[in-house]
Amino acid sequence: MSQQVAHWLDNLLKEIEGIEVRRKSSRRVRVDVPADALPALLELLQGRAGYIHLSAISCVDWIDDDEFELVYHVWSYESHSLVSAHIRIAREPGVYLSVYDLYQPAAFFERDIHEMYGIHFEGSPNMEKFILTEWDGPPPMRKEFDSEAYINEHLSWQEYNPEWLQELVAEGGGVIIPPEEQRFSQKKK
Amino acid sequence: MSRLQKIPVVEEKKGNPLARVFDDLVRFCRSRSLFILHYCTGCGAIELPPAMTSRFDMERLGIQPMVSPRQADILLITGYVSIKTLKRVILTYEQMGSPKYVVGICSCTVNGGMYWQSYATAKKLDEYMPVDLYIAGCMPRPEAVISGLQKLMDRINSGEADSWQDYYRNYDYYLGNQQKLFGEDWQTPTDIITEAKHYELMGEGTLGQHTRLLEQHQKPLEALEMRLGHNIKEPVE
Ligand code: SF4
Repeated sequence: MSQQVAHWLDNLLKEIEGIEVRRKSSRRVRVDVPADALPALLELLQGRAGYIHLSAISCVDWIDDDEFELVYHVWSYESHSLVSAHIRIAREPGVYLSVYDLYQPAAFFERDIHEMYGIHFEGSPNMEKFILTEWDGPPPMRKEFDSEAYINEHLSWQEYNPEWLQELVAEGGGVIIPPEEQRFSQKKK
Repeated sequence: MSRLQKIPVVEEKKGNPLARVFDDLVRFCRSRSLFILHYCTGCGAIELPPAMTSRFDMERLGIQPMVSPRQADILLITGYVSIKTLKRVILTYEQMGSPKYVVGICSCTVNGGMYWQSYATAKKLDEYMPVDLYIAGCMPRPEAVISGLQKLMDRINSGEADSWQDYYRNYDYYLGNQQKLFGEDWQTPTDIITEAKHYELMGEGTLGQHTRLLEQHQKPLEALEMRLGHNIKEPVE
């Protein structure tokens, strides 16, 4: 049965141009599409193949290629299978269409991605701050954001003072584990 | 004669010896009835349920959880404090009645722990509020928590745990660090300076450039508007 469904799905996906389908297993398909074909693909999957659940939208910053990769994971309760649709969009200006009209949960994921990567989704109902409500720096998940430089500038640092530990060990509590005892590779034979 | 007058005379406080006995008694009682505020940050909180319940049973030491900051003595910071959380922690800390004690559990409160590189977490808790005791570990086991709390009890009993006074005496320093993180117009509903005057704990560091900044931006507090939810619509007629 699931073999049949898989076969049927593969045929269905061939209807879209420029698409590359890689079947990872009987229940997982990776699809790479051009960015402008994605809404059509999702519509097809949702309307004709029963992929009614958008599990997540994830984002990868390929800074060397100057591109963002967006991955739409859709799940079908009928065939128990997941289709991951990958698209690439230009890093600048970093604008893409919202799929809110197809999948309403997309509003949530798009808002999150907007906050973390600064991608703007046209037509998404709400692009306001979401979790980082008190953050006014650049979107922190972009690769060019240097977290270490940021904390060096904004926060101070203190060493983890091992003297405390020695005090504790003298009292019979705490354990100082030398690295060679912790790492098996350095263990004495 | 005139030179003699310049010699400073240290007036020894000839207090009532019984008064000290009374202080000792108060401290003893205080250290044996501690309420921990039920507010947990980060992952170290997961070690508290076993510490509180029958396995390790904190209550035999006289330590119990308490739900409201006004009635609590100990503020446990059980792990990393994100900058967003830190605001709430400070608000909570300021609402607690003195004397109050802050215990930083977990390495993350010491220096950020494994989140040392994260843009979202504060690194040194004692920059923002005085910490009485750190219990290091990632995460410390209930035994460590209990032994830490016992140490705190000892320190309260001997009168050493008085870092809450430091918040009043050096308010400018703490406020400055808070302003650095939250912006210049940072303001809390609690008026620490007036409280410091009330407790007679004005120190050299109570007022300074940061408190002046606070006065510039300070808005008078308004009572919260009472309303039921956002979406209640007017009835259609
Ligand atoms: S020290 Fe470890 S257990 Fe504690 S908050 Fe940090 S990461 Fe979590």
